Amino acid sequence: MHVGTRLLELIRLRGARTVFVVGTGKNAGKTVVARAILGAAREASLQPGICSIGRDGESEDVIDGRAKPRYLLAPGTLAATARGALPRTPAVEILDRTAIGTSVGEIFICRSRGFAAFEIVGPPAASGVREVVQALRAQGAGLVIVDGAVDRVAAVAVEDGAIIIAVGVHGRESFDEVVLAGRALAAKLMLPVYDPRQPVVHVRGALLPEIALALAAEDPERQIVVEDPTRVAAGGRTFLGLLERARLRTARPLSVAALTVNAVGRERAYDPQEMLQCLAAATGLPAFDVFAAAAA
Amino acid sequence: MKSGDLLDAAAAEALEFGWLREQIAPAGAYGRRVFGALRAFVPGDEARAAQAAERIVRAAATLEPERIDALARRLRATPDVTPAIARAAAGDVLDDPDFLELLRLCDAVRETDALLAVFPDALRCGGPALDALAVALEPGRRGGHGFYLDDAFDRALAQAREADARAQAAFETARGRLYERVARALGREAITDEQFIVMRADLPNGLPPGVRIVREAPTYLVCEIELDEDALAALERREAAREALAHVEETVRARLSAIVRDGAADLERTCSALGGADVFLAQVRFAQRYGCTAPEIVEDACVAFDGGRFLPLEERLRDAGRTYVPISLDLHGTAVVTGPNMGGKSACLRTCGMIALCAAFGLPVPARRARVGLFDTIAWLGIGTAAGGDDEGLLSSFAREVIHLRVALQRPTRRPLLLLDEFARTTGPSEGKALLVAVLAEVRRRGACALAATHLDGVAEAAGAAHFVVRGLREVPRGINAGDLRGALEALARAMDYSVLPAAGTDAATSDALALAELLGLDGSVVAAARAALYAERRAAEKAAPPVE
Repeated sequence: MHVGTRLLELIRLRGARTVFVVGTGKNAGKTVVARAILGAAREASLQPGICSIGRDGESEDVIDGRAKPRYLLAPGTLAATARGALPRTPAVEILDRTAIGTSVGEIFICRSRGFAAFEIVGPPAASGVREVVQALRAQGAGLVIVDGAVDRVAAVAVEDGAIIIAVGVHGRESFDEVVLAGRALAAKLMLPVYDPRQPVVHVRGALLPEIALALAAEDPERQIVVEDPTRVAAGGRTFLGLLERARLRTARPLSVAALTVNAVGRERAYDPQEMLQCLAAATGLPAFDVFAAAAA
Repeated sequence: MKSGDLLDAAAAEALEFGWLREQIAPAGAYGRRVFGALRAFVPGDEARAAQAAERIVRAAATLEPERIDALARRLRATPDVTPAIARAAAGDVLDDPDFLELLRLCDAVRETDALLAVFPDALRCGGPALDALAVALEPGRRGGHGFYLDDAFDRALAQAREADARAQAAFETARGRLYERVARALGREAITDEQFIVMRADLPNGLPPGVRIVREAPTYLVCEIELDEDALAALERREAAREALAHVEETVRARLSAIVRDGAADLERTCSALGGADVFLAQVRFAQRYGCTAPEIVEDACVAFDGGRFLPLEERLRDAGRTYVPISLDLHGTAVVTGPNMGGKSACLRTCGMIALCAAFGLPVPARRARVGLFDTIAWLGIGTAAGGDDEGLLSSFAREVIHLRVALQRPTRRPLLLLDEFARTTGPSEGKALLVAVLAEVRRRGACALAATHLDGVAEAAGAAHFVVRGLREVPRGINAGDLRGALEALARAMDYSVLPAAGTDAATSDALALAELLGLDGSVVAAARAALYAERRAAEKAAPPVE
């Protein structure tokens, strides 16, 4: 099974022209998933463009210094990356500037002319991501893949984006914790849209757990509506607890297409098949393992 | 643009120097550098200051604002290539983003020169080095904003790229064969990544040859494919081809960098000239936007103008839907301006200061006509003099004013302009007046200029200074609801004649203070009591005065 192709099918079924790959933490396999979609898009003759929120695709993890996968972009692939991350050879075609600054220089929109290893450095803020996505589309990208951070995708993803959730084991103490983290992130990003015919309270900005609980205590039946799912300032067990006690809803729902797993971490690893099955069951999402070429 | 010695802190604040600086700020990086080094003209520079202002006014009459704005947008987006020029001059090989930015510079210079070509005495920004660079970089142009180290730069590039592509394809084929073989052996559709997971349960016959275990677990293996001899040889050939391509690309970059290096001095001049043009065009837009005129710059210490405006106030009034009334003034040496509260005495001082300030920077002035001398200091004393150092917070208002006066008089300046806004208003009127008279006399003795706004009677006469009055209220507005501040201010503006005229005789200044207090909603009984007290005082004074024979 070609996981990239399956993921691309799910993305296209949703009519999405942008896909955001977000993770439960570091080393969740986001870049590997993005690469798989990139390859599938290329095979489908869908001009792909790649960008990132923050810094990704570097040859070494900038935090712990261990080896991390790079993007090896085929000729014709569009990419947005910072000046300091542009490969020198083979020369890339610089198509446009964005005036968005990063710690390694301004972000350029470019096209790979030969197979070139890229580090993808993106804008740190959502507004910049929107601009970069539009710039990639303006250059003809049929599908833009954003290797991104979960808290910064919402502002952009609500428009015509699909989300792939990558679940990894890094930083989780047990298998149950891994599943819980994946379930909580999926539940959060799939927060249902509110029903305007029913009682509702709109919360501007971040929704703190204590506020959610206080509002729920006032009227358990009332919908508590955030602007988008990432405005709920809670994750993991706390978020799932809130979901049980409050009718959390969103004004702008996100479109989650699938979930992927990376069962092998640096400190610990779990059975890939078991992890895939458990997460598929816990979230109700189509689940894939790019490494094991498996689906659930 | 720095106020430097020209303005003290209080003057910079009162005259809103920051506002002026913002209005004439250039758009681009080169302009900002030139702008940052701008200094005011000083006495002796009259001809140069006049020429500068006249040149701006001529351009303002010639150039279309829309074209200047379009060029400003271009300059704003033009990156600063001076670091790249410096690196090339030091022998560094530049990278492709550098060439893109240099190409943008070429475009910006071409547009600027085209715009300024209609203007006879404009400097040309471009030069031979830029022309050569533009020609050299042109093959790399991609659309409006792009650059690529195109094959057209060197035939060897195309050859090296073809070789690289062939080697890459050969490697992909060799590796692909290997991946396919392993995928087939594992019963998979494809293997797409370097590392992959195999479940032990799916391996009844063990791993196929050429697969290396990276990590083992009870139920699965993390594996990667070891390249076979064919794939390794193809990889080696690809690396060689890549190295050869890198060499050719670097050779082309080095050649382009050498053009930058050889023309570095001329390119730096171009950047400075472009910065100068940016600064100049921002000044032209300022003159157009605010209808400024070239002042006559004279060697005397004077500020004389017709239809002068204090632009920041004019803008604020316009935003509030009100009209600014331009004023005229002829200040030679020292003068006193008196008149009612809210009649525009402070605005008169500020207008005077702004016109002197613009002239000092060689800018057109916001007046129909102006005749201005250059000052090497403009000081502001009185209202608006904020506490300076730590100790000043402990001083009374009067003490602070005295300290600032002392500093202003001690500054080793050839020709100061002192603007005194109700100086010494917080001390006893007799001594305050005596001090103000003495200050004006001292300024006159130094051959400088001072304009003092005051409510104190008889200052002009005692100091031998010219006396101007703000005409004041034509009538006291009636029927304004107490507490309706906006209504009161609008009524006041309608009733106030802001004209500044030479005073007739030695009339005592009228402040219209009680009328204003009433208009602004002060309790009527308080105002009535004040009127009664004033009447009684005047009667007593009349009785005490010796009978006129």
